[in-house]
Amino acid sequence: MLHIWGIEMKTILETLLIGVSSGSIYSLMALALVLVWRSTRVVNFAQAGQAIISTYIGYESMKHLHSYWYSVLVAIVAGAILGAAVEAFVMRPLAKRVRGSAAADIAPVIATLGILGLIRGVAGLIWGNTFVQYTSPLSGKGYTFGSTTIQFSPQNAAIVIGAALVMAAFAIIFNFTKLGLALRASSFQPEISRLAGIRVDRIRVIGWACAGAAGAVAGALVTPTAYLSPNSLDLLLVSGFVAAVIGGLDSLVGAGIGGVVLGIGFAFILQYIGASVTFLAAFIILIFVLLVKPAGIMGKSGGRSA
Amino acid sequence: MHKRISSLARLGIFAAIGLVLIALSGFVDELRVYQGAEVAVYVVAIASITLLTGYSGQLSLGHGAIMAIGAYAATLAFNGWHIPWMAALAVGALAGAVAGYILGFAAARLSGPYLAGTTLALAVGIPSLANQFHVLGGEQGLTFDIGDVPTWASHSWLAKIGHGDFTTYKWFYWITVPIALATIWVVRNILTGPIGRRFKAMRSNPTAASLIGIRVSSTKVAAFTYSSSLAGLAGAMLAMILGLSAPLVFTLTLSFTLVTGAVLSGVSNLYGGIIGAMVLVAIPELSASVATHLGGSEKVTANLPGVVTSLLLILTVLILPNGARVRRSK
Repeated sequence: MLHIWGIEMKTILETLLIGVSSGSIYSLMALALVLVWRSTRVVNFAQAGQAIISTYIGYESMKHLHSYWYSVLVAIVAGAILGAAVEAFVMRPLAKRVRGSAAADIAPVIATLGILGLIRGVAGLIWGNTFVQYTSPLSGKGYTFGSTTIQFSPQNAAIVIGAALVMAAFAIIFNFTKLGLALRASSFQPEISRLAGIRVDRIRVIGWACAGAAGAVAGALVTPTAYLSPNSLDLLLVSGFVAAVIGGLDSLVGAGIGGVVLGIGFAFILQYIGASVTFLAAFIILIFVLLVKPAGIMGKSGGRSA
Repeated sequence: MHKRISSLARLGIFAAIGLVLIALSGFVDELRVYQGAEVAVYVVAIASITLLTGYSGQLSLGHGAIMAIGAYAATLAFNGWHIPWMAALAVGALAGAVAGYILGFAAARLSGPYLAGTTLALAVGIPSLANQFHVLGGEQGLTFDIGDVPTWASHSWLAKIGHGDFTTYKWFYWITVPIALATIWVVRNILTGPIGRRFKAMRSNPTAASLIGIRVSSTKVAAFTYSSSLAGLAGAMLAMILGLSAPLVFTLTLSFTLVTGAVLSGVSNLYGGIIGAMVLVAIPELSASVATHLGGSEKVTANLPGVVTSLLLILTVLILPNGARVRRSK
């Protein structure tokens, strides 16, 4: 009896740890979506594509740098540049064109979908649709305690630590720097920020760049635990969106918590029900949160129309 | 606006167009006939997006999932109850409508990006269900075989026009083209009637619409229900011409493709949907021939269509964000 109980406890603990690890990735993706949402009021469905390209660039750079950690840095820089480029060359011109028209809500969403498709296609043209491996020096084998090996590997630990560091960095930037103040001000009241001398357009580009960097971290950290292909991060987009909504699309802390909550939820569903219902569960969680507590767990109460 | 043509006269015109299109099937090879059937399926699917996004202003990225529901419902009904294929297609449309009615209640409370993201989760979640339940046939899916061409069709005078055998593909074309034309006729009547005006009022200004007595949330549910019944029908038609319902058919890419088709044709332009559908069918073939011309590898052939469609989508949104033909309701 005790033995069975012991096995049960081990499974639960493992599921919990795996959930925190995958949840950290969802948090990063949610963070990326929240950063873009806060700076331009757009849900960036191209985020998965941007993360894919940055991860591929990291993968390529590793061939020359021979170091996974430097290649992650390259991926982050590439992600930031790509994010800035998307905002500056597509989203900003579009926003100026549709301002005040009936399509103002829908056109940006469709544009980000177009960018997602374009990026996936280009990645396929360059790297092909086959799986490639982007390996990290850390072991993918689980830690061993005495005679039992758990499913939580050093790479999983790196994911959790990396995500926590990125979160902390953004928390510091947002709350304690002038840039953070400008980011917060221009998302809160663009017109007044402009009057106060903040270059709102430039700040928005920075917001997109930060988001691109966060997405790149997610892609570069998660890929060594799986494979890399032009659409290997698509599902991450859905999880990231659900996590962001759970946390309240406006809240950085909420994105962090939402991601981990969702990760743990998914891990338990995967362990005890089956892989094929996870995304339906995500849909149900999403509907439930949006109908019961539309502002998310960290959101302020009040309306939530875009 | 336009010259007034009564909807009955329009029905006559459509019937004539349909007869011509069907007669033409005798003069082209099998591949073109099959592509014609594909275009007809896309016309119905795009009409469902046009109705929802173009007229009621709600964006769904989950219509691929609704199509899957229609396809599986039609297939299960056809295989399980041994009903005629026509009834099976109707079951598909009905299943879509039920799904849309339920989804509409959630959708009515969500705006813009929230609705897009929620339906995105649906697009991923529904097709993967096929792996969970044995009755849905798992990854291989279920076969949907409507059998041989009935003799009344293959021996009719229409079949004698042109040359070539009466193949199953031709039969699919004969089935799908009239359905597509009928869909356009019905949707046009809905949209120019009181319901369509309610949709447009709600899209332009929800507050004003509710002040003149339009119940905004039930109108949104209605829009979702109508639109989803078309999506369900399109899904059932797609399963029929492919001969199967499988999760691989109803991918996230399908949902995106539908939105692309609707945007390319000008989201609120019903007839434009025909052009959008043709573009969607033509792009893979055109880019495949370009790819072989370039001596392209498998990489190019597999990815060029996606690149071209996405570029078209981005350019359309940038250049004509309000649709190819803007019709502002005054």
